[in-house]
Amino acid sequence: MSLPDVLATAARDLFPLIWSGMITGCLYALGALGLVMIFKCSRVVNFSHGNVAGFAAFLIYGFSSGVLLELSWGAAVLLAVVAVIAIAFLTYAIISPLVFENDLTATIATLGVGLIAQGATLLIFGADIVGLDLPVPRFSLSVLGLLVTGYDLTVLAVAVVTIGALFFVIDHTKLGIAFRAISDNPFAAEVCGLNLRSVHLFAWIVAAVLGVVGALLIVPTTFLSVTTVAAFMLQAFAAAVIGGFASLPGSLIGGILIGILMNLFTFYVSPEFSSTFLLGIILVALNIFPNGILERVGGSRV
Amino acid sequence: MSDRTASIGLRNPVQGIAPAEMLGYAVIAVLVCLPWFVGGSWVFALGVCFANAIGVLSVSMLVRYGGEVSIGHAFFAAIGAYCVAILDTRYGLSLPVSLPLAVVLGVASGVLFAWPSRRLSGIYLAVSTMALALAMPELINNLDSLTGGYEGLYVSQPVLPGVSMSYQRYYIALLALVAVTYALARLRQSRQGLALLLAKSHPAAADAFGTSRVWARVSVMGISGGIAALYGAVLGFAGSTVSPSGFTLWSSIFLLVGSVVGFYGLTLPRALVGGAFLTLVPQLLSASGAWIPVLYGLALLGMILIGHYLPRIREIAGHRKEAAR
Repeated sequence: MSLPDVLATAARDLFPLIWSGMITGCLYALGALGLVMIFKCSRVVNFSHGNVAGFAAFLIYGFSSGVLLELSWGAAVLLAVVAVIAIAFLTYAIISPLVFENDLTATIATLGVGLIAQGATLLIFGADIVGLDLPVPRFSLSVLGLLVTGYDLTVLAVAVVTIGALFFVIDHTKLGIAFRAISDNPFAAEVCGLNLRSVHLFAWIVAAVLGVVGALLIVPTTFLSVTTVAAFMLQAFAAAVIGGFASLPGSLIGGILIGILMNLFTFYVSPEFSSTFLLGIILVALNIFPNGILERVGGSRV
Repeated sequence: MSDRTASIGLRNPVQGIAPAEMLGYAVIAVLVCLPWFVGGSWVFALGVCFANAIGVLSVSMLVRYGGEVSIGHAFFAAIGAYCVAILDTRYGLSLPVSLPLAVVLGVASGVLFAWPSRRLSGIYLAVSTMALALAMPELINNLDSLTGGYEGLYVSQPVLPGVSMSYQRYYIALLALVAVTYALARLRQSRQGLALLLAKSHPAAADAFGTSRVWARVSVMGISGGIAALYGAVLGFAGSTVSPSGFTLWSSIFLLVGSVVGFYGLTLPRALVGGAFLTLVPQLLSASGAWIPVLYGLALLGMILIGHYLPRIREIAGHRKEAAR
C-alpha cells in the first residue's frame, strides 16, 4: 500500500474509533465523578471505588442468575444498590474519625476497604469469569458512516441523564449548595451550622451509585471477573487526575479524553502497552496542567 | 505521621547506647544464630521475610522523608529483581556484580520518575505511582526474550562457591537488611537527612537554607527507589525465582500495608514486623487464597485505627494517673 492509501484507511477508521472512545469515555467519567465527589468535600481518594462497584456487579449477577437469588434484573439492581449504599455507609463510619485528622491516612484506609471488597467477591463468587448483559434492545443503525448500536445509545442516554441529574442537584438544591460550601471552605461551612458528616455521607452514597451504574454499563462490553471493574476504574482515576481531582466538569472532560486516546492508541499503536500509555498520559498531562485541564477556565464552577 | 519523625533514631550522647539500639543488636544476634536451630523451610521463609522488610523500609522511607504515599514501589523492585535475574541467567554473573548495578538502576529510575512528577504531591503522586505499578507487568511480559515473560527467571548463581545455597540466601538477605537500617540511621543524623526532613515539614524554611523542594523530592525518590531495587534484588536472590506476578499493583499495595503495620518505622525491629507480616500471612493462609486480601484489608484498617486511637487512649490514661496522685 502506498502512503496515501495508508492515510486514507487510517482516516476512515478514525471517526468510528473516536465515537466508540467517547462512549467508553462517558463511563470513565461516571467513575471519575464518583471519585471527585468524595475528594471534593472530604479530601479522601477512595481507592475502594472500583472493587466495591465490582462487588456490586457480581451481586447483580448473583441475584439475577440464581447463584444467590432468582430475581428479575430490575429487582437485582435495586437490591445491589441498597447493598452498596450500606457498604458506603459502613466505610464512611469506619474512616470518618480519620477524615478530619489526616486525609492521607484515610486514603490508605480505603485501600484496606478495597482489599476486603475484592476478597469478599472472591470468597462468595470464586475466581470464575461470568457474563452479565444489559436488558436493552439489540439493534444498530448507520449514521453518516458510523455504526451506532443500541448499547451505545443506552450508555449515552444513561450517562447524560445521570450526570445531568447530578449537576442539577449540585447547582439547584439545598444539599448541593451545602456540598459546594463544604468543598470551598469546610471550616466556614461548619461555623454556619452545616453538618459536615451528613454531606460527606451524601457524597459517598452518590459516588457508590455512580460506580454501580458505570460498572453495569461497562461489563457487557467485556466479561465480569474479580478484576474487570477495578481495572476499568483505573482509567477513571486517570480521568479524574487529568481533569484536576477537584473538578466535576473536569472529570467529565478527562473521562471522554481518556476514552478516545486509549481507543486510538490500542488501535493504531498496540493494545499490549495500554497501561504504559496511560502512565505516559498522566505524567505528560500533569506536567502541562499540574492542577488539571480546567484550572483556569472553570475556576469558580463546581 | 509528621511529629513522630523527630523522636526516632536520635542518639542520646550522655547515656551511650539507647534502648532501641540495644534491641536492634539483640535482634541481629538472635537472627545470626537462628539457622542452626530451625528447619530448612523456615530458613528460606526468613530470608524472604528479610527481603520484604527491606521493601517495607523503602516505602516507609518515602513516607517519612517525603511525606508521600507510593502505591507503585513494585516498579522499582522489579527493576532490581530483573537486573539480578537477567545478569544471572544470561551472563552468569552473581550477586556481588549485579547488586550494586541493581541499586544504581533503582536510584536512576527513582530520579527519572521523580523528575516529571517533581511538582506533584499527595493524591496526584499516588495515582502516578499507581500507573507506574500497572505498567510494569505489561513491560515485563512484552520483553519476554529478555525477561522470560510470564514464566520468569530462576536465580541460581552462588555468591560464595561451595557454601550451601540455603544459608547464602538467608545470610545475604540478613546482611542487606542490616546494611539498609544502618544506612537509614546514618541518614537521619546526617546534614542531608535533616535538610530533607526540613524540606518536608517547612518547605519555605528549607528554601531559605538552600534546599529546594524539587531537589528534596528527587533525592527522596532516588533513595527510596534505590532501596526498593535492593529489595527486589535481594528478594530475587533469597526467593530464587523472579516473575511478573511478584511485581503487580497488589504487591505495591501489600508493601504499603507492611509499612503501615510497622507504623512507618525505619528501625530494624519495626521493619521486621512489616516484613514478617508480608511473608507469613500468605504462608499461613496458602490453603485459602481468597482470605488473603480480606485479612490484609482488615490488618490495614486495624493498624490505622489503632494508630489513630492509641495515642488518645494513652492520653486519657495519663490524665487519670495524674488525677490519682
